Amino acid sequence: MRQRTSILDKVFVASNYTFFIFMGVITIFPFLNLIAKSLSSEAAVISGQVNLLPVDLQFGTYAYVISDKLFQSAFINSVIVTVVGTLLSLIMTSLSAYPLSKPKLRGRKIFILMFVFTMLFSGGLIPTYLLIRELGLVNTLPVLFLPGMISVFNMLVIKSYFENIPEALEESAKIDGASNIRTLFQVVLPLSMPVLATISLFYAVAFWNDFFTAMIYINSPDLKPLQLYLKELLASANNIFLKLDTIDINMAMNVSPQAIQSASIIVATIPILLVYPFLQKYFVKGVMLGSVKG
Amino acid sequence: MTPSYFKRLRLDVVREWDLYLMLIPGILFLLLFKYTPMYGIVIAFKDFNIYDGLAASPWVGMEHFEKLFLSEDFARVFKNTLIISIYKIFFLFPLPILLAVLMNEIKNMVFKRGIQTIVYLPHFLSWVIVSGLFLQLLSTNGGLINKMIVGLGGESIAFFMNTEVFRSVLISSAGWKEVGWGMIIYLASIATIDPQLYEAAKIDGASRFRQIWHITLPGLVPIIILMFILRLGNILEAGTEQILVMYNSIVYEVADVIGTYVYRIGLGQQDYSFSTAVGLFDSVIGFILIITGNYLSRKFLKRGIW
Repeated sequence: MRQRTSILDKVFVASNYTFFIFMGVITIFPFLNLIAKSLSSEAAVISGQVNLLPVDLQFGTYAYVISDKLFQSAFINSVIVTVVGTLLSLIMTSLSAYPLSKPKLRGRKIFILMFVFTMLFSGGLIPTYLLIRELGLVNTLPVLFLPGMISVFNMLVIKSYFENIPEALEESAKIDGASNIRTLFQVVLPLSMPVLATISLFYAVAFWNDFFTAMIYINSPDLKPLQLYLKELLASANNIFLKLDTIDINMAMNVSPQAIQSASIIVATIPILLVYPFLQKYFVKGVMLGSVKG
Repeated sequence: MTPSYFKRLRLDVVREWDLYLMLIPGILFLLLFKYTPMYGIVIAFKDFNIYDGLAASPWVGMEHFEKLFLSEDFARVFKNTLIISIYKIFFLFPLPILLAVLMNEIKNMVFKRGIQTIVYLPHFLSWVIVSGLFLQLLSTNGGLINKMIVGLGGESIAFFMNTEVFRSVLISSAGWKEVGWGMIIYLASIATIDPQLYEAAKIDGASRFRQIWHITLPGLVPIIILMFILRLGNILEAGTEQILVMYNSIVYEVADVIGTYVYRIGLGQQDYSFSTAVGLFDSVIGFILIITGNYLSRKFLKRGIW
């Protein structure tokens, strides 16, 4: 009896490890395929020889992608929007979260309800679009971060973190005559670095990945962020006529549209890969904070 | 009561004026970018045109909603939304739970952390990137999956242009992106189960499977119910962003959902009033579902969603 369960146990453990290795492979596999394509010669990509390793290794595709004027401006736009948007969001979100974390704030419940209600109900796409147009924000870079400055979910996470900071620490600052604003910036925020790091990474990733806002509000090619540029690149390669065009143009460069797509996707993913280790350190905590708020 | 309340409020505002001052940017943000569009919903009951503006456009009552309920297009997108959502719930809701339970049985911490690092990653990529990865993988021109199909003696499939398989592409790419990440909440929940329960079970000679069945799974039931309620509350969101990037006119018939329809009719054809009506219908149903879910959650789990 004892023998049987332990064999069963070993089989289970072995298949469990195998299963997760398989899952890891499935996750990585599309990236390997893409990297291989981006590093292979035009002929190899077009004839469909490339699997997981590059065929006729070359780096010309990356040179081609990076030298593209529109790619450059898209990349710079995305960096600007992500940096400015994240900073503004952090300030706006902390400024709202701090008063709302104070039970003594009269009308607190109503203010919180005002925030939470926007998570449950919204005016919808078209009324928002008409407002943005009325404000003259169509075809401007700020439209890519202004409407997304405060995520109510992130605000609630910061608020619950503030609520757990011992009152005594703030009181001593208060006794020294510090205003609420000074207390926030000199006492509370320095004590909240873990949650601020988590939330700024959440914001940064959201701004970097957003293509939908740009798709609605941006037409001019030089204002497009990277994700929208990529989306259009993918769509154009699906369109057979455009595809023929790009092949003509790219013949001389010895790069194929598929390889260009692949290389562009890789370049757009690199910033995420760079912040991912930091992100990983904090996001479990962020998810926990989000789930325990009550 | 009332006068004294306002008196106290005034006293508070004077004493803690900077606390209220800090709140002003956030409240202005909400009023401008969230509540003004809610007022803009009135165009669903008007015949809005850009030249007359919002106030001067004539009222038409429920005309757009009558059109909506009679519209074949709307019936189609509503059906697609439900089908895609239900497929996603059916296939993708249970998977993270199963994975978390299995992951919990992995005792090698280095392996565990390594796999987690890998499978969480796709969650942080945009739908544009994920779509690009799948386009390459499923391409008829040298895509790995089609090469495997052909290698096994099959015929290559134009996954993105085939109404029979396109929904499967949507669901599997959503799975690839989110299933690993979906584990995290259940893993966090398992971590809160009292270790003494497992110790006691081991002393009683309970096998690994019995421990999973009698301790881990029951410990997960409340969070599973909570997540399920939340998921149902979002049933009309079938993945608008994903579909907007991945679909094309050939597969509209099976992939056009409420979100993509509002986008195309509203911004493409500039039928502002009608698309606002569609959007309002969507928002109201979503609101009712989430409020009901919260009520049920409070009643049965003694724990609200917010």
